[in-house]
Amino acid sequence: MLKFENVVKKFAKVKAVDDLSFEIKKGEIFALLGPNGAGKTSSIRMIMQIMEPDSGLISFDSSVLLGSKVNRSKLGYLPEERGLYQDAPIMKTLLYLSSLRGSDPAEAQKKATAWLDRFGILDRKAEKISTLSKGNQQKVQFIASILHEPEFAILDEPYSGFDPINQELISDIIRELRDGGMTILLSAHQMQLVENIADRILMINHGKELLSGTFEDIRNNTISDKKLIVSYNGAAKKELFESSAHIRNSIQTAPEEWEIYFSENYSLNEVLKIMIEAGTVKSLKTSDVNLHEIFIESFKTGGRVHE
Amino acid sequence: MNNQLRTVWNVTKWEYTRFFKWIDMIKGTVFFLAFGLIGGVIGFWVASDTLSVPEIAIHQYGEFDKENFQSKELRFSDRTNDSMELLLEELQAGSLDGILTIVSSDSATIRMKSQRGWLLSLRQFLKEQRTELKLQEFNIDATVFAAIEEGMVLHTEFDRGSESSSADKWLAGIAIFLVLIAVFMGFAYQFTAITGEKQQRITEQVISAIHPQTWIDGKILGITGIGLTYVVYYGGLGLISVVALVNFTGAPFGEALALINPGLLLLFLILSLLGILMINSFFAGIAATIDDPNTSQKSGLMMIPLYPVLFAFVAIFNADSTAIQILGMFPLTSYAILPVRLVMTQVAWWEPIVAIALLAATAWIFRLWAGKIFATGMMMYGKEPTIKEMVHWFRRS
Repeated sequence: MLKFENVVKKFAKVKAVDDLSFEIKKGEIFALLGPNGAGKTSSIRMIMQIMEPDSGLISFDSSVLLGSKVNRSKLGYLPEERGLYQDAPIMKTLLYLSSLRGSDPAEAQKKATAWLDRFGILDRKAEKISTLSKGNQQKVQFIASILHEPEFAILDEPYSGFDPINQELISDIIRELRDGGMTILLSAHQMQLVENIADRILMINHGKELLSGTFEDIRNNTISDKKLIVSYNGAAKKELFESSAHIRNSIQTAPEEWEIYFSENYSLNEVLKIMIEAGTVKSLKTSDVNLHEIFIESFKTGGRVHE
Repeated sequence: MNNQLRTVWNVTKWEYTRFFKWIDMIKGTVFFLAFGLIGGVIGFWVASDTLSVPEIAIHQYGEFDKENFQSKELRFSDRTNDSMELLLEELQAGSLDGILTIVSSDSATIRMKSQRGWLLSLRQFLKEQRTELKLQEFNIDATVFAAIEEGMVLHTEFDRGSESSSADKWLAGIAIFLVLIAVFMGFAYQFTAITGEKQQRITEQVISAIHPQTWIDGKILGITGIGLTYVVYYGGLGLISVVALVNFTGAPFGEALALINPGLLLLFLILSLLGILMINSFFAGIAATIDDPNTSQKSGLMMIPLYPVLFAFVAIFNADSTAIQILGMFPLTSYAILPVRLVMTQVAWWEPIVAIALLAATAWIFRLWAGKIFATGMMMYGKEPTIKEMVHWFRRS
């Protein structure tokens, strides 16, 4: 669907995007992750034709092209910097934003009615946007980005402002859209949700790639693919964790509970020995690291993988 | 209609309907009339109470004949037999408004509680009395004096042979006034529309859907449409009021209308329309650079398009000066100054053509410039472009 090849974008002396390359395949949910200022928004704005790259190439699949130009009506966009005309009625706003993407008004009205119904705000369609809660305004914003049924949609922080129930609803809808053939670029800070929904993930920092692949690939390739959760009766001697070459990191998650991350060339026997020396073990369990932990860890280590 | 034109039309409709609502305008007019009526009634009551005919006691007449002290605006009473103490008591009690003591034909004193508006009438009355007295004293006939007082009639002739009719002059004045209304409307709505969109963070999703030039074109047309609607509405209301007044007074309105030159009317319309489009493009470009209208120093730039209207008033005094001739064709001022020149003096046939061509070209360049500024300025949050950057974009356009 999209090829992003050796793209560079500078602002004054700062390289927001630094020779970044990736590819988004048709019909997948592609998650673009990174800390604040990593270059996500700049990359997204270049894909959406809002700004031009200084160098590099962004090319689209023919399904979103009209001649040699990008057909904006085939793109959908939920920007991070978003808002709505507060003094305009909900349905009128949706129809206007949809008309800018070239939708047929009658069709758009039918679809908007169905979406508003699904989100439980159909009875408020004639009300002004300003009368809606922040969460409901987010729903309208989400509908506006996909109402015209784009081939390729970018959803930047789609979960922002939603409670857990509506976050799940958004995840379900994103999956349905993907299953219906839509390609989706997702950027979000809710790692648990991204982990469950993304087909492939790209983590960037300082405009460069840190990690990429499916979640399984990333987890298998990161330094900390395993951890132990150990509970003690009383306090543990943390200096033993810190001095061991087999333990890369230890985090106290409760007064008597620790998460122990292994070093690259760890020996499980040695790790267990240190744990026992550190205190009276009450319980011990293994756990896979989740995306949140990989995210944190990658940015601490600059995304180094097993050597 | 191709896609781009359809999108421009969609934005135009949106901007127009977003800010313009007939029902609000009619409600506004009804409120205006209702409050005008209430104000008029209250004003009439206040005026009738405040401006009632004052009661003035004359304590001394001096050289004047008391029989002559009669006026519709002032009520005099002969109180020469009463003491000043008694008159002062009455003044304090409010039964008298003033005590007049005339010492001679050159000197008199009026005693009041405080300054009053009827003092002007009293001065005028005493002046007339004194004139009468002096005419008798110097034995001058009143008709002779009237002949001396009457000024010379100065007839005007112009090189151009004939002068524009008063109807055309009124038309030029009305055209400039209506342009001023449209300019103020454009100023208010472009400012609200664009800075509001920036502050409500609407920009990014719209700019990802359509080209910034398409968006700004729709905005300029929509806001211009609102300005023109107001012009037509208030112009129509004014016309209805004039017709009603004419019917009431029996003035020759039909004859006045017949004096209007249709060619001039068409020129005024073209100049006004192009001028409004150019100004709205300017407003749109500047508004896109403003991050916070409460603190931005660029808000002052929005006043620039009002200058030509001010220059037009200067043009009335000498429509043939070199400066006014040049400004009559200069695209940033011609829409306001050329109409004045057209009705005040002889204008070469090519001047309106040059003025319209330059104005149309400038409106087009401003449109492109606004699009460039809009494309970049609308995405700048928390920082405004410098004048240097704006000039750079202007040159690129």
